[in-house]
Amino acid sequence: MMTKEQAKKLIDKALSFSTFPECNINLNSSESASIRFALNGITTSGYTIEQSMTISSAKDGQTGNTSIDEFDDNSIREAVKRTEALALISPPNPERVPPLGPQKYAPYENFAESTAKARNDVMIPHVRAIIEGAKAQGLVAAGFFEREASAVATATKQGNFGFGRQTDASLSTTIRTQDGSSSGWASQPAVRIDQIDGAAIGKTAIDKCVRWKNPKRLDPGKYTVVLEPTAVGDLIQLLGFNFQARSAEEGRSFLSKPGGGTLVGEKLFPESITLHSDPFNSLYSGLPWGGGGLPAAPMAWIEKGVVKNLFYDRYWAAKAGKAPTPFPFQMVLDGGDKSLSEMIASVERGLLVTRFWYIRNLNPKTVQFTGLTRDGLFLIENGKVTSPVVNFRFNESPVRLLQNTIAMGKPVRVRGGEGQGMIAPPLVVKEFPFTSISDAV
Amino acid sequence: MLTRRTFLESSAATALATRLFAAPAGSNKPNAELESLGAVALNEAKKQKATYCDIRIIRYRRQFVNVRLNPERGTGKTLEVPNVADTGSFGFGVRVIADGAWGFAASPFVTKDEIARITREAITVARANAVLQSRPLVLAPVGAYRDRWQTPHESDPFAVPLEQKLELIRSAAAEVKKGKGVFAAGCNLSFRSEDKYFASSEGSSIQQLNLQTYGQVNGTAVDMKRGISRSRRFQPPQVTAGYEYIPIMNLVENAQRVREEVIEHLNAPAVTAGKKDLVLLPSHLWLTIHESLGHSTELDRALGYEANYAGTSFLTPDKLGKERVGSEIVNVWGDRTNDRGLATTAYDDDGVKTTKFPIIEKGIFKHYQTIRDQASLIGEKESRGCCYADSWSSVPFQRMPNVWLEPGKQGTSLDDLISGVEDGILIDGDGSFSIDQQRYNFQFGGDAFWAIKGGKKQGMVSQVAYQSRTTDFWQACDLIAGPSYWQQWGAANDGKGEPGQINSVSHGCSPARFRQINVIVTD
Repeated sequence: MMTKEQAKKLIDKALSFSTFPECNINLNSSESASIRFALNGITTSGYTIEQSMTISSAKDGQTGNTSIDEFDDNSIREAVKRTEALALISPPNPERVPPLGPQKYAPYENFAESTAKARNDVMIPHVRAIIEGAKAQGLVAAGFFEREASAVATATKQGNFGFGRQTDASLSTTIRTQDGSSSGWASQPAVRIDQIDGAAIGKTAIDKCVRWKNPKRLDPGKYTVVLEPTAVGDLIQLLGFNFQARSAEEGRSFLSKPGGGTLVGEKLFPESITLHSDPFNSLYSGLPWGGGGLPAAPMAWIEKGVVKNLFYDRYWAAKAGKAPTPFPFQMVLDGGDKSLSEMIASVERGLLVTRFWYIRNLNPKTVQFTGLTRDGLFLIENGKVTSPVVNFRFNESPVRLLQNTIAMGKPVRVRGGEGQGMIAPPLVVKEFPFTSISDAV
Repeated sequence: MLTRRTFLESSAATALATRLFAAPAGSNKPNAELESLGAVALNEAKKQKATYCDIRIIRYRRQFVNVRLNPERGTGKTLEVPNVADTGSFGFGVRVIADGAWGFAASPFVTKDEIARITREAITVARANAVLQSRPLVLAPVGAYRDRWQTPHESDPFAVPLEQKLELIRSAAAEVKKGKGVFAAGCNLSFRSEDKYFASSEGSSIQQLNLQTYGQVNGTAVDMKRGISRSRRFQPPQVTAGYEYIPIMNLVENAQRVREEVIEHLNAPAVTAGKKDLVLLPSHLWLTIHESLGHSTELDRALGYEANYAGTSFLTPDKLGKERVGSEIVNVWGDRTNDRGLATTAYDDDGVKTTKFPIIEKGIFKHYQTIRDQASLIGEKESRGCCYADSWSSVPFQRMPNVWLEPGKQGTSLDDLISGVEDGILIDGDGSFSIDQQRYNFQFGGDAFWAIKGGKKQGMVSQVAYQSRTTDFWQACDLIAGPSYWQQWGAANDGKGEPGQINSVSHGCSPARFRQINVIVTD
């Protein structure tokens, strides 16, 4: 993995080949190791080194882009030449923004050597714990354990240079019965691989699988739901893209005001809802800059139920006469202090959801999504989990979900089956619409 | 100033990769330098006592040209926003079996020393994994081939001047934007080449060039007062072909249709929910085939290899040869040999010569998609050639071949399908799609919807999605249009596996009719 000095040298070399007034370079170098298991054994496993350099050259708004993963002098020279040739053929881009000069990046790095170095000898004991736990109960384990370390640099011909390193790891497992009649799932993402606890993850998934046997069929309809943190993250992370100022002002967003304007400043959610980005949260492996090379910064999107900010990229901010804002990465939904069991105890009749699956947008304007429950759905009666329930399909918007939230628990970092996840609490939500039964296990 | 000539010179790829993949005109043998590099991995693996080894050395190139026409903030003046990118990637991956377990390692540094080092890394990984090996690996037999193959094409899309591509997409987008009330319009073209060398310890040395061509034109309409926005898209079939396919896309002609239909879509009333007959065009039905029949017939899913991510399948091995999936008229093929299919190639990433095989015959499930290390698990002697990795840095595993639905009887027309519908919907283009982890329960949207009343196509409706179960849906198929209506559409980014990989795959079909499917209104 490249060092700061190596990154600077490569970037300086690339910029020395540039003949245009503008040249932006982004470098990425990563090393990853992973183990995939199924049927109580390892199926595939790998160790991979990757690197890439993306180059964007511009003159008078004419812009060309390329990326390469060969870093010899000739390859870099040819790549810079190619971007310039592409730019000259392209019409000017009226939305091209001026290159960034030197930026002040916070001295932030969440990098764990133990994660960066971990190979099979560190990872296999966790996988073994899960498999042995499953075997002991006559169950079948599948899962995935990965860790990545990366070094990233950003630079412009105008003198900006940033370098950052990050590590991340994630272990997830799905435990199934031999006959495929029940399934349970658990996962843990962490910046530090030594925080991951394979035995605990396995135990949670095994427990879900054992408890989900012989699920009963309930009628589709609106239910009060207790969403475990992963289920919350599965849906709420999808809101991030919907805070774009541009689509809101152009009438294409749930934050567009009918007749024109946006809903910034309006109280759309209960007082308890605060959704923000936190690039320096120690649970995340963040970089000191965000999209476009601007310094990373915390940003509130919803504060105490009020829509607080929209995402303005540099072009749209200049047009709107506003300061640019960071993209809604590294999202955090604030919660409360209640435990999951306390939240379950507060529900008279409802459903406990482990996670969602195959979530797809139905209507970008209303942010309505469809998807399914998976790997553990349970009926709650009089504050207690009483029986497993056959899976459902839902059609719901995370906007409506937050509006219908009536209780919140303690937030944790989660990563489900899709997307990068977020920091999310468990929630109690009323009137969650399940539209059809899914027999899948 | 750089000219087009200098652009073409600088576009001639990087020196090493270009030299490696070059071959004398008319040669059907792999480049000798590639063979020499491949031998390094095979020799090192043998030295380290691995029982199997393969290496893939691959150069990718992608070109993307896009234009977006939209009103400037504050002035309403139309801006033409271009985006042009031309990217490359080059590296190798080594896969071994040592102590009875798979190991894999990959690197972008294509030198003999690095190939030997990475081969040893792969063996280290395999030996570590062997302690948790659940069953011994058995590879189905394969032939030893020395061959060179390429996507049949007439015109290298990367050699066509960029100006020509920009002019085409600008014209198409402008056609859409001409419409009064069209808010934004866009058009793009993209091209991908995969120049791949494969060598295995079982004697194969294969070089293949795969060329893919994509395009799309779209429009968006917005009604600020009502707070509604709608879009319409024409995404011609994505194919393996050269630039000769571009005129066949008819982007400009279809842009005119998109212009009219996006406004109609904006003003279309919401559908009424309930059971309705559906007539699905190939531009839409391909995705339903992909999700419900393509993925459910993957052997690795059925066995549990994907249980932690993409899921398993309702089509478990005990149902092989017995389970009724569709009506008598439903015949489905797996095929990596058909013209212009996105998954079409001569050899898969196991080095198996590709083939065509029945998946569903007269509605009955007949065969799985297989690879070498799983065929024996269902008693099959040979792999069906469905192994693929999306990068030199990815592990090869089971991916979907082109899966296509046989057309109906000669002479059956689209009008025949529509005329038999009292209350139904005609759907064009793909939209939202979601299906459960065993491929039973699905919900699909679309890109445009027309009501059918009394056997006739009527005006557009909006906010349509339909829900069904795979077997209920395919058993409700009562008529398929004839061979002259058969078209092949596809997906460029089908996801599966951990770490996630994508796959390009085509699905051909004729328009088909499905009786009494549950239609819902999306808000």
